[in-house]
Amino acid sequence: MKQILLITDGCSNVGESPVSAAALAFAEGITVNVAGVIDEGAIGEQGAVEIAEIAKAGGGMSRIVTTHQLSHTVQMMTRQTVAGTIRHAVNQELKQLFGLDSVGALPPPKRAEVVRVMDELEETSELRVALLIDASASMKPKLHAVEDAVRDLALSLQSRNGRSAVAVFHFPGDFGHLPCVLDCGWTTEAGKLHSMFTRIRMKGTTPTGPALLQVVDFIRETCGIIKSELLEPPHIERGDNEEVRSDYVV
Amino acid sequence: MTTSSEKVQLPPGTLVKGKWNGKKYRLERLLGIGANGQVYLASLGRSVCALKFSDEAAELQGEANVLASLDHTGKKRGRVPFLLDVDDFTLDGRDLPFYAMRYVPGTPVSAYLKRHGSQWMGVVGYRLLERLAELHEAGWVFSDIKTDNVLVHDYGAVELVDFGGATAAGRSVRQFTEIYDRGYWSAGSRTADPAYDWFAFAMLWLHALDGKRLLQLTRALLPQNRHPGELMKLVRSHPRLRTMEGWMEKAFRGGFQDTREALLEWRQAIRSSERTAKSSESHVPGWMAGLLAGSVVLCAAVAAVWFLQ
Repeated sequence: MKQILLITDGCSNVGESPVSAAALAFAEGITVNVAGVIDEGAIGEQGAVEIAEIAKAGGGMSRIVTTHQLSHTVQMMTRQTVAGTIRHAVNQELKQLFGLDSVGALPPPKRAEVVRVMDELEETSELRVALLIDASASMKPKLHAVEDAVRDLALSLQSRNGRSAVAVFHFPGDFGHLPCVLDCGWTTEAGKLHSMFTRIRMKGTTPTGPALLQVVDFIRETCGIIKSELLEPPHIERGDNEEVRSDYVV
Repeated sequence: MTTSSEKVQLPPGTLVKGKWNGKKYRLERLLGIGANGQVYLASLGRSVCALKFSDEAAELQGEANVLASLDHTGKKRGRVPFLLDVDDFTLDGRDLPFYAMRYVPGTPVSAYLKRHGSQWMGVVGYRLLERLAELHEAGWVFSDIKTDNVLVHDYGAVELVDFGGATAAGRSVRQFTEIYDRGYWSAGSRTADPAYDWFAFAMLWLHALDGKRLLQLTRALLPQNRHPGELMKLVRSHPRLRTMEGWMEKAFRGGFQDTREALLEWRQAIRSSERTAKSSESHVPGWMAGLLAGSVVLCAAVAAVWFLQ
């Protein structure tokens, strides 16, 4: 299972559209979640729309939260995306094999068995989360909270039974020609993520789209081999399933 | 976006007939709305139970599975099972999944201590540790201990509610509350083990008895400075918790062999803290002791003089 988690606070302003970049990621089996972080001020309407659109195109979810809620939100989104991906795959199987709409259409005893298997997968499947962090100037005061959230996520992933790894990127890149920079390659240890943002130089532009594409490339290059059949999210028919998933959290 | 809490509530008096098992429940009142569903008090014939409804069939079933396996592993005579029924309720042509569990009355532990006094901490803690020991021995970790999930009724009887977060030992903790979380205080992993519950158990008292200062501390501390040592500073400066210092320290560091040992030491710590509390209450004023000593000396002197003569 592969996820990209984008943490940003506003609109992209350079390069390709982040929405189509997210759609491409999803087509390659990578779910894109977006956390929009705000301080006191509200996020602009344009930014809010873009954040929602990116997540929708990327098959994931989006939340706009304050820095205090960030850790919790990042955890929640990652976990629910794992559960959602498994649920989707299982429902798909049920539809093909038995013509049933979802797990809920099974009689309770069977439902219990299927859900047991799903929980097992949720805990044991391999999971990779690439974090893409907006380091444009306006994000500077929020980077401490972001760093904390990243470390917290790594701690949770470390506790899973299945192999889990995180990689961290920030954008824009330092030298003009790259949209984003790799801060930390796939790692399983939360300890390695200590104070990695201290060397980031804040810049003005926000090339969200190109940065997303670069992360997709990175994932394709580093874990192209580990595709697992069941967990490949299908690219079609996201309509009502999406509804359910975005519906259920308060 | 709609959220589950905005979903239509079922009015009291609604008759809920299970689609598969056919049991007929009558909803009495709404007990609460959680992040993923609604819980109602319901009657079934003459008995009462709690019904949880949710749109998320898989997630709901996951919780029901936890309850079912608790019923399987923790066999004990005469105990009401956790899980009573799993079924669907057909409402306006749509199936709404639900499960029935036992209903637990009671007050959250912090409210109970506020009303009845902190001297109940001993009994409540003892009973709670007993429950946890059973759970741990069955291979489960509760993981989401917090004041809302620990209900106390008459004379300190304790029940845990919301077993949806219970995790098999060795798995990653699926549900936790930040300030009760061992990982948040950089005191260990989020892999479920009995020590995870001990930590949250210790936090429970800190939160229930000294909540204000605890929240101040969490707000003031930078993430990298969160450490059980900071929590121990609070413990040491609280008049009631100070007497439990040794136990709390051990709980924060996961220093017990198992939960039975934690239970045993809890009892000892409570007993000795009560004794110190009593002896300091009935403390003899200095002047009185001085007077006594003086009179003893005087008496001895008089006796000595008398003997010598």
